[in-house]
Amino acid sequence: MAPTYNIAMVSDFFYPQPGGVESHIYQLSTKLIDRGHKVIVITHNYEGRSGVRYLTNGLKVYHVPFLVIFRSATLPTVFSFFPIFRNIVLRERINIVHGHASLSNFCHEAILHARTMGLRTVFTDHSLFGFADAASILTNKLLKFTLSDVDHVVCVSHTCKENTVLRASLDPLMVSVIPNAVVAENFKPLSYSTSSSSGNHPFTPHHPPPPRPLGPHDIITIVVISRLFYNKGTDLLTAAIPRILENHPNTRFIIAGSGPKAIDLEQMIEQNVLQDRVEMLGSIRHEEVRDVMVRGQIYLHPSLTEAFGTVIVEAASCGLYVVCTQVGGIPEVLPSHMTVFAKPEEDDLVAATGKAIAALRANKVRTELFHEQVKSMYSWENVAIRTERVYNGISGAISEAEFYGYEAANAPSWSATRGRSGVQSFALIDRLKRYYGCGIWAGKLFCLCVIVDYLIFLFLELWWPRERIDICPDWPRKKPGERKDSTFG
Amino acid sequence: MLTTNPHLYIRRPSPTTAEFTVTTCPRLTIPLRLALLLILLLRISTITAAITTIYARFFLDPSSPHVQPAASPLSLLIQGDIFPLLTHALYTLHASPAGQFLFSTLEPVPSWALLLSSSAAIYVALFAQLHTTESLLVLRGLGIQTSTGGGGVQRARTRFIPTEKIRDVLINEAFRGFEVRYYLVVVVEGEEDVVVVFPKLLPRKKIVEAVWRGVRGCLFEGEGNGMNGRAEKGHV
Repeated sequence: MAPTYNIAMVSDFFYPQPGGVESHIYQLSTKLIDRGHKVIVITHNYEGRSGVRYLTNGLKVYHVPFLVIFRSATLPTVFSFFPIFRNIVLRERINIVHGHASLSNFCHEAILHARTMGLRTVFTDHSLFGFADAASILTNKLLKFTLSDVDHVVCVSHTCKENTVLRASLDPLMVSVIPNAVVAENFKPLSYSTSSSSGNHPFTPHHPPPPRPLGPHDIITIVVISRLFYNKGTDLLTAAIPRILENHPNTRFIIAGSGPKAIDLEQMIEQNVLQDRVEMLGSIRHEEVRDVMVRGQIYLHPSLTEAFGTVIVEAASCGLYVVCTQVGGIPEVLPSHMTVFAKPEEDDLVAATGKAIAALRANKVRTELFHEQVKSMYSWENVAIRTERVYNGISGAISEAEFYGYEAANAPSWSATRGRSGVQSFALIDRLKRYYGCGIWAGKLFCLCVIVDYLIFLFLELWWPRERIDICPDWPRKKPGERKDSTFG
Repeated sequence: MLTTNPHLYIRRPSPTTAEFTVTTCPRLTIPLRLALLLILLLRISTITAAITTIYARFFLDPSSPHVQPAASPLSLLIQGDIFPLLTHALYTLHASPAGQFLFSTLEPVPSWALLLSSSAAIYVALFAQLHTTESLLVLRGLGIQTSTGGGGVQRARTRFIPTEKIRDVLINEAFRGFEVRYYLVVVVEGEEDVVVVFPKLLPRKKIVEAVWRGVRGCLFEGEGNGMNGRAEKGHV
């Protein structure tokens, strides 16, 4: 019988606000609940959402009233979250605190306090950061502070792992890569017949018939769905669209999304008189993404930086041929037969799109098979299984050798402060050692913070003793075997 | 020693009636009764002393000697002449050794400070409560009545909610200060806000759950047999 845990997901970003991190937390939590764990989510309050809520599958969400400063991130006040966090952790009997997103102050605070309280911590990084500008340097320092004493780090792609390891000076062994996933059922291609996939003939593999081949004069529609920001490569798109349309007569563009760069696109359309060939939809809701995607044959993703790029998986799942820039974690995401890569520059992007259009016209790409392939590659259940393994590793349920690999376990001192069983020791002096190495001044400052945090912890234990905190009854747990019947998707 | 953590008394005078009382007052033992009596005497003497001080400082004219009332205090009382009776009583108190001592001790205190502190003392002695008692009375077919406060000279604030107005009785969780508390609420039809039961004491989960079960049993017995306790919780 595998051990089950009480897990607290902590992040500033959660529903009702839409977004990638939010849906990642929700999907992962759902699947972990299906595997028999208890999961709660701690986030700050949103407009009209304050207090404690249950979602349909027993996922409990604490919307903690807190001051929000910028783009729904809370004010960084190192210690102020501690009393309420401790109360929640004790009443829910949490063993593992899992923080998400490096820009979330809640997550950093929670990891610090959780270590002070003697809990296992995991951090998931969802984004890439630079090293040069002032904001990045500050964020990186903060990240280093938090991650000095975390049990394990999860990144969404290998590029993201490299980035995080460098930014926070981590031991690469304590960083795992667990990619995002998509709910493939929500991204079905237009021609996908539901009857054959619903299990009428479970033993005959599902091979959809090849659709009518594209003739040389059929119109090919290229879809772009992204927020129109600089880092999403909108400038590149603005430059490339007129050239692509000039080279390939029977093509159309559909662009969905909004942002500060929308005006540049509109100007480009007016200057080149492309109103009938480029359609701009403005911002769309996540549920509508699939309906927009299935209107096209090619998905163009000109992003300049991307940790994972869930949207290209969604596009491939909808049966679109993907043209994308070779940046960040994107090359790891899809197999090469689904994608055409371009360097992040105008000429190459035009050339790559041309190649993709030519390949589609020559019927060299079996896009109708993409959905099944993506479905078998990406599932949240798989993400949950891999995350569960991380939990097992940090809590000592599986041995150090099995979790980190035999070489690492036998190395004499691959991490000086690691305890005997391969898990981080909670002793204050060991924690201080880890923080002290953060920098000449920063190290001392961080140590001071940790000591103050520990004193606050002692004070809280005196002022609000543990036995005066009511224990929550658990939502009836699912047995791991039951999860096949579950209807939550 | 004089107070305890909130605890629950359940009184069931009949099968269709139940009263749930949450109070910080411990069981009345002889020492506790004596202590409470002592506190009562202390309150009375504080009030008397404060009134006498105010009288001596502001109403007593030292130049004109006190005139003994023509009749005896008893006859004054019978005749209903309260004012001369009170004046006489206060003067007697003031003239007593204890009153004189108090007067001379407070001589250097400025008038405004004296007035303020005496009023404060009277207020505290009259209204400060040692124990908090809150209760919930459930009458099947009629409704429920919440009551808060009471004790001392204050009257308890009560609120009656008839059965047809009660949409549900449930336990909810909410943030309060630096903690998350369980509390019992009554959802009233046509009202924006729910009615919180035991709003001052906010007893712990064990008590709240016992009361919740009792209320449901008493109020909806018969129709609520199939209800699953967990299903009602927290969906607000």
